[in-house]
Amino acid sequence: MRKSSLAFVGVLLGATALAHPASADVKIGLLGGVSGPIAAMAPAMIDAAQLAIQQVNEQGGLLAGENLVGVVGDSGCNPQNATDAATKAVNIEGISAMVGPHCSGAVLAAANSVTIPAGITMITPSGTSPEISKLADKDTVFRTVPSDDYQGRALARTLLERGTGKVAVAYLNNDYGKGLAEAFKAEFEEKGGEIAGFAAHEDGKASYRSNLAELADGGADTLVLFDYGDGTGLTILRQALENGFFETFIGGDGMKSDAPIRELGAENLGTFYASSPVGEQSAGLEAFNAAFKAIGGDPNAIFVTTSYDATFLAALALEKAGGDKAKVHEALREVSNGEGEAILPGEWKKAKELIAAGTAIDYKGAAGDHNFDANGDVPGTYALWRVEGDTFAVETEMK
Amino acid sequence: MEWIGLLNYAVFMAIFIGIYALLAIGLNIQWGFTGLFNAGIAGFFAVGAYVSAILTSPYAEGRIGGFEMPVVIGWLGAMVAAGAIAWPIGKVCLRFRSDYLAIATIGVAEIIRLVIKSEDWLTNSARGITDIPRPFGDLPYVQSQLAYLAIVAAVLLAAYLLVERQIASPWGRMMRAIRDNETAARAMGKDVPFRRLEAFVFGAALMGLGGALFAHLNRAITPEAIDPMVATFLVWIMLILGGSGNNRGAILGVAVVWIIWSMSEILTDRLPAEMAVKAKYIRVFLIGLMLQLVLRFRPEGILPERQREAEISTDSAK
Repeated sequence: MRKSSLAFVGVLLGATALAHPASADVKIGLLGGVSGPIAAMAPAMIDAAQLAIQQVNEQGGLLAGENLVGVVGDSGCNPQNATDAATKAVNIEGISAMVGPHCSGAVLAAANSVTIPAGITMITPSGTSPEISKLADKDTVFRTVPSDDYQGRALARTLLERGTGKVAVAYLNNDYGKGLAEAFKAEFEEKGGEIAGFAAHEDGKASYRSNLAELADGGADTLVLFDYGDGTGLTILRQALENGFFETFIGGDGMKSDAPIRELGAENLGTFYASSPVGEQSAGLEAFNAAFKAIGGDPNAIFVTTSYDATFLAALALEKAGGDKAKVHEALREVSNGEGEAILPGEWKKAKELIAAGTAIDYKGAAGDHNFDANGDVPGTYALWRVEGDTFAVETEMK
Repeated sequence: MEWIGLLNYAVFMAIFIGIYALLAIGLNIQWGFTGLFNAGIAGFFAVGAYVSAILTSPYAEGRIGGFEMPVVIGWLGAMVAAGAIAWPIGKVCLRFRSDYLAIATIGVAEIIRLVIKSEDWLTNSARGITDIPRPFGDLPYVQSQLAYLAIVAAVLLAAYLLVERQIASPWGRMMRAIRDNETAARAMGKDVPFRRLEAFVFGAALMGLGGALFAHLNRAITPEAIDPMVATFLVWIMLILGGSGNNRGAILGVAVVWIIWSMSEILTDRLPAEMAVKAKYIRVFLIGLMLQLVLRFRPEGILPERQREAEISTDSAK
């Protein structure tokens, strides 16, 4: 038995060595949580990334017509699998850039122990933890999704600009609610606002009246609610309206759901606002939606736009860097810094010609313009929405 | 791909196997030698990882820390803390029989995970602790990996030799006696509850050390790393497959499971691109199948426990 298991390992080793043809393909690692807690989201995200690769190959390929190949790795949404998958992608597959991993903990581990030391550029489409901004990454870690911090802070500034100086904050006690609430609180207080109540609540209770009464005691007439509009957030909103605890309600993107309008009626929601990412009408998004629908994908699935953009950006940067892995991170900043000829999703041929001609290009993606800041983060583009008729309409842009 | 890539990959796998081998040896002390069904490995792994992270990382706003102690202190602290947490848990839980002990330890591990996930001031909750120093982490990629491998290998060797020595001693014989026939051991005047507690604390300290080595490898620790799947049940599979009651079997089990898990992905990557995502699930199936086969055809594991025969004493016959 011992010998046969050793033999089995030997066969695997041999297969690995054999399975390694020298090819002129240029590879991009696509690491995602294929197994694990986000297994339901990952396939669509990887499909979107493969769409970008397919478009590149259909429109002339990379550099001198080389084939771009996406190497899918399972980062399992945990550091153990992510470092393993990243080590294989970097060392065995010899990838030139990495898109992923999907979960923040996986991003931190894979970046720290694999891609940063190896000098490979990483772009995550869905790691939202603020800790990723702080990585000592030699400028090689980027993301196409805004950090949790942005929305909370932008919302705080917007409220103060609108003259709301005193609020109470209620948030759902999970990563999402807590991340938003804390960013909001920090910015609001720093800019001179007053937080008259700040409390977490647990999911799924029948009554939140006592929580609301406590928050209302602080004397604020505006409630900022970080929760989901089709879950606990709806219950809180209903009970706050019924009992008149607050006059104005502000939600995060989780609250911008049809459920409150359907359940409570638009006529009762005249003082309800929700912040949410915009870019929904951009030409970039339309181009992506059409292309993704054509291959049978659902463009409304979560993080598909950011996955597509991350992959397309990686390809553009590789082209710009002439295929040099070590220069991809510099090139990435050059192809999307807000200056140059606009490139929309799918416009690979045009981009390739412009790069060859030495013209500056600027990618305007499906999920936003992706002008990276010093940390490799993108500022989200958010707007504050009000209820109008049976749907939401933009009240004001958020900065 | 050049040989350097293969080397890097082999070194990474070796580091990983070393860290998980510490967990497997810790579990072997508890289950293999003493018969304690600990299903809360992730909890002790987490305590070790976070304690070492807190002790050695620089100051960060909003959580306890900024001690910036040497890494060695962090690792010792991890062992002490994991052992110290195991003490009261063992005091309460070890009175249960094996299957109830398993349930209780799963519960304890979940409590630890949820505390880590929600206590901002202690662990920075869901976002985890970053900026953990890594010994020789400033060297270039290959060198720093090799240096870390050397450290892990040295730690594992020391742990292995010490545990082997302990198990070969009268203490080890007593533990096996307690495992095989508790009543007889008690009749011989052994303090069974205390000895079981000893084994529990001892094993937990090694698990804590494994957690600390893991946190420093990645320079970050987040609650995602202490998922029971990857930090508890995977270790159990490794130990059962390798052979519980045998430390070399435990290490071999870790190596076999990890190598198959990791390398099977390289094989599935050769499948056509349309299957690339689906092929990942085959790997999970493969590990389960392997465990089933081993349990069916070789329940004692690849390297079973050595049967120690009593020396027949001729003196006593006289």
